[in-house]
Amino acid sequence: MSFFNRADYFDLPYWQNGPAPGSLYHFPDFTTNFNSDAIQRTQSPMVTGTSVVGMQFKDGIIIAADVLASYGSLARFRNCERVIKVNDNIILGAGGDYADYQYLRSLIEQKILDEQCLDDGFKLKPKSLHCWLTRVMYNKRSSFDPLWNNFIIGGIEDDQLYLGTVDKLGTAFTDPVISTGYGAYLATPIIAKAYEANSQMTEKEATDLIYKVMQVLFYRDARSFPKYHLGIITKEKGIEIRGPISIVTDQ
Amino acid sequence: MSLIQDYIPRNLPDYATQAPKQFQFNPYADNGGSVVALAGDDFSLIAADTRLSTGYSIYSRKQEKLFKLSDTTVLGCSGCWCDILTLTRVISARMQIYQHEHHKTMTTSATAQMLSTMLYYKRFFPYYVSNILAGLDNDGKGCIYRYDPVGHCEKNTYVAGGSAGALLQPLLDNQVGYLNQENVEKIPLTKDKALSVVKDVFISAAERDIYTGDGITIKIITKDGITEEKFDLRRD
Amino acid sequence: MSILAYNGGAIIAMKGKNCVAIAADRRFGIKAQTISCDFQKIYEMGPYLYLGLPGLATDSQTVMERLRFRLNLYELKENRKIHPKTFGSMISNLLYEKRFGPYFVEPVVAGLDPETFEPFICNMDLIGCLNLPEDFVVGGTCSEQLYGMCEAVYESNLQADDLFETISQAMVNACDRDAISGWGAIVYMIEKDKVTSRTIKTRMD
Repeated sequence: MSFFNRADYFDLPYWQNGPAPGSLYHFPDFTTNFNSDAIQRTQSPMVTGTSVVGMQFKDGIIIAADVLASYGSLARFRNCERVIKVNDNIILGAGGDYADYQYLRSLIEQKILDEQCLDDGFKLKPKSLHCWLTRVMYNKRSSFDPLWNNFIIGGIEDDQLYLGTVDKLGTAFTDPVISTGYGAYLATPIIAKAYEANSQMTEKEATDLIYKVMQVLFYRDARSFPKYHLGIITKEKGIEIRGPISIVTDQ
Repeated sequence: MSLIQDYIPRNLPDYATQAPKQFQFNPYADNGGSVVALAGDDFSLIAADTRLSTGYSIYSRKQEKLFKLSDTTVLGCSGCWCDILTLTRVISARMQIYQHEHHKTMTTSATAQMLSTMLYYKRFFPYYVSNILAGLDNDGKGCIYRYDPVGHCEKNTYVAGGSAGALLQPLLDNQVGYLNQENVEKIPLTKDKALSVVKDVFISAAERDIYTGDGITIKIITKDGITEEKFDLRRD
Repeated sequence: MSILAYNGGAIIAMKGKNCVAIAADRRFGIKAQTISCDFQKIYEMGPYLYLGLPGLATDSQTVMERLRFRLNLYELKENRKIHPKTFGSMISNLLYEKRFGPYFVEPVVAGLDPETFEPFICNMDLIGCLNLPEDFVVGGTCSEQLYGMCEAVYESNLQADDLFETISQAMVNACDRDAISGWGAIVYMIEKDKVTSRTIKTRMD
């Protein structure tokens, strides 16, 4: 687009039906009737990841997301990790546009690197990352150029469990049970019920429950995949990214 | 030059970028929520429900929507949650700046004026928030300020706002303002009366407004500080 | 602005003990301009049967005339008074006939059963989806305000005079928070042996 100068085609100051001196001819079969003032923004997501689910259990946080990145209805990339370890305190799960997620991940990685270079012994805490991420998302939405993602942030801060989320508008909140996308309809009811019955689940109980909801999601969410990653953060063992875990279907 | 001459239109709809599509991303969401505030002679009471929702789904059942700004001022917000988060953060920052510059805490009336200015500053890309500010005025009397999203400000003694505002405001007119009541003694609002009215009106609102429910938080502001109370609502 | 809110107006009906009440405001306006303050939105369709038609005034009157026609045919054919429930179905039927080009009215029916004198209320949307609750029904431009009032002030099994007080307070306070409803109100109290109509003084702004 950059080698078209708007003035060459729309303002014809020297003579009609021809280009400005030193410019190109306007060939009749070539459509140039686009407005070169327009700039490209994310108007809809392209390659997308589906639901992310997260919950608290007795001594940690668990986040899960499958490995599929879809291009519309096409299952385009079938081995994309969407749950990452940010640092020793934080795990992050991402849904929505995969490119936007990769961009944001590189920002976060640089942020962590910068912090390590300071070598002051301080480490980013989940609440800080959540807050920062909310500001980034809100600023992007305010410039009408949103990052088309849903994030779930999990971590441990001063021995307290932390689970929060942000969407493309910058809508942020914390809750012991969070799911995004179809997970909000399919996974949340199952997890919330189990959590209300027993908020002090063991890691084994939690991973089994997540396996069950990922299976339910695979059954009914057409953009899902029978392989997922788990991010688990516990007080004793720190962070573990597990997977890809395969879902065994009934058939 | 050759780039243009070599251009052969191919049928690749996926890469077609002939003209930018006129599509507007919607930066706002309605996350619901209701706020009620009542002012008495020596106190202010403000209550908000704790449900955070979009459309037919509930994000959270225990989201605090009352923001303590100082020892005598509390702000209640409902509307677009991302704007609420931003607005309340900016308010806190502005109040901190004021504190450092003037060596005193902002009064409720000063905060009320500042909020109006801040909302109008974003007149052409507004914060989509319905604000109700409760506090004590310079004489220690209870006072309530209500706002529209672009900064119109009005001082009141009883206010209902947010998704159930239309349901509750006439009720407060009648029960707290004694409007359309004849031959009744207009008793000044007491804390106990205010508390029971607030609980009653929220129970009514939760019956008919799907964006109001789960629970309420009530903050009572007196010269001795702010006390908090919680109350459960229906969760469906 | 919705065409339903072109003329403005509000109606409530409430059940009491052996009585029903129906109330409406008296304003007739065109958008924000008030034309008259003695407009009838409630129509007497029988000795114990009252119909409120808030919404577009022209449709309100048309629907009433067409219903009266069908009602007369019904009562001539059957040689008996219509039950309010049957009348409700008759309205619903008439409205659904115009499913894809509806009359812009949200009817409210209040009445007593002509044989048992059982109180009856119902309302429906503009295409005739019936709603038969146990307590109260509302309609019109300030239905949100009316719901808020009714939900808080209504009690079941009220005597006629208490029911009058309740319905009037709900009506007046709700209308005061709506710019295009109010300017006076009228309440019909329907009992077995009498029907009382009272006009209420309200704010005129």
